[in-house]
Amino acid sequence: MKEISDLNFPEDVKYTKDHEWSKSCGDIVTIGLSDYAQDQLGEIVFVELPEVGDSFSQGDEFGSVESVKAVSEVYIPISGEIVGINEDLEDAPELVNEDCYEGGWIIKIKPEDPSQLDDLMDKAAYLNMLKG
Amino acid sequence: MPERITFKSLNKVQRSCVFSNLDTLEYKRALDLQISTLNAKIDNPSEPDRVFYLEHPEVYTLGRRGGRENLTVSEDFLSSRGIEIVQTDRGGNITFHGPGQAVLYPIINLEQAGIGVADFVHGMEEIMKLTVLDFGITADRDPKNHGLWVGRKKIGSVGISIKKNISIHGLALNVCPDLTPFSWINPCGLENVAMTSIAMEKGMDTTKDEVNKDLMNRVCHLFCHHFSKIFNISIIRE
Repeated sequence: MKEISDLNFPEDVKYTKDHEWSKSCGDIVTIGLSDYAQDQLGEIVFVELPEVGDSFSQGDEFGSVESVKAVSEVYIPISGEIVGINEDLEDAPELVNEDCYEGGWIIKIKPEDPSQLDDLMDKAAYLNMLKG
Repeated sequence: MPERITFKSLNKVQRSCVFSNLDTLEYKRALDLQISTLNAKIDNPSEPDRVFYLEHPEVYTLGRRGGRENLTVSEDFLSSRGIEIVQTDRGGNITFHGPGQAVLYPIINLEQAGIGVADFVHGMEEIMKLTVLDFGITADRDPKNHGLWVGRKKIGSVGISIKKNISIHGLALNVCPDLTPFSWINPCGLENVAMTSIAMEKGMDTTKDEVNKDLMNRVCHLFCHHFSKIFNISIIRE
């Protein structure tokens, strides 16, 4: 595991206590795993994705990531309908390790209530949580 | 301590967990017990971490992504032998559990314990490695195919699942099982893999129940000891 100071936490995304990130662009929110999460998981070998059109409530499990011999559930930061999934992850799940905020995004949703984003942590709050 | 494990927060407080030796428990009942323990911890984070040590009656289990394609005999044949196949949500592929195999299921909040998922898997393999070393058997991990290997023979397996930062499932080490049912699958999805056990490596007679029971008890003590040292978690025996 890396030191927290060696990990990357962009300012323009919001974070959850379960280590997902959310980034709003227009009326679409993109969601993925933070650099801390991918580092903790190790080499990711499979990403289980939801279907476009599925709807989830805030905090629901929407899929899973399998690192070597370990399956970890992932949870949706805000309620909404899936409008996009990162199909590149089917052949290249390692993108979550290599480029977790860009090429390794997992889903795009249309939020049910965009104000739920306000409940999520900014970089400073997330770092405080990680440092305990 | 294994070379890759650097638990940053371990110096803060040494955690403890409750250790239970359940002897022999049918797989589905053990799974129910793990899930109820997990849910209790999710509902009440002050619930203790727990570790279960047990053996299963004969059963095949599938990983979250399956593994039924790695059966090399028909399901009718397995039914005729009374061996069930159970779908699970752990990592990994198909495996076999049976009497004489030591199983360890830690239900632990990894985040609170400061243990990353990859390091947890690594630590579980290390527990098995140090345990077999206590019997004079040199085994190692394989970076390509996880689990524990004596040369080209597999002696132990790991498969876990994480929900809300809490682990379920765990490891299985072949102590003195009948290895025949492994020949009816490609264990962990790997073709032409030979299995071994502590008893096989040491040329022990596995026909006497008393000897096997002593062996399993010794492995229980060793698992406790190595688990505590590797993860820096003190053990409270129930």
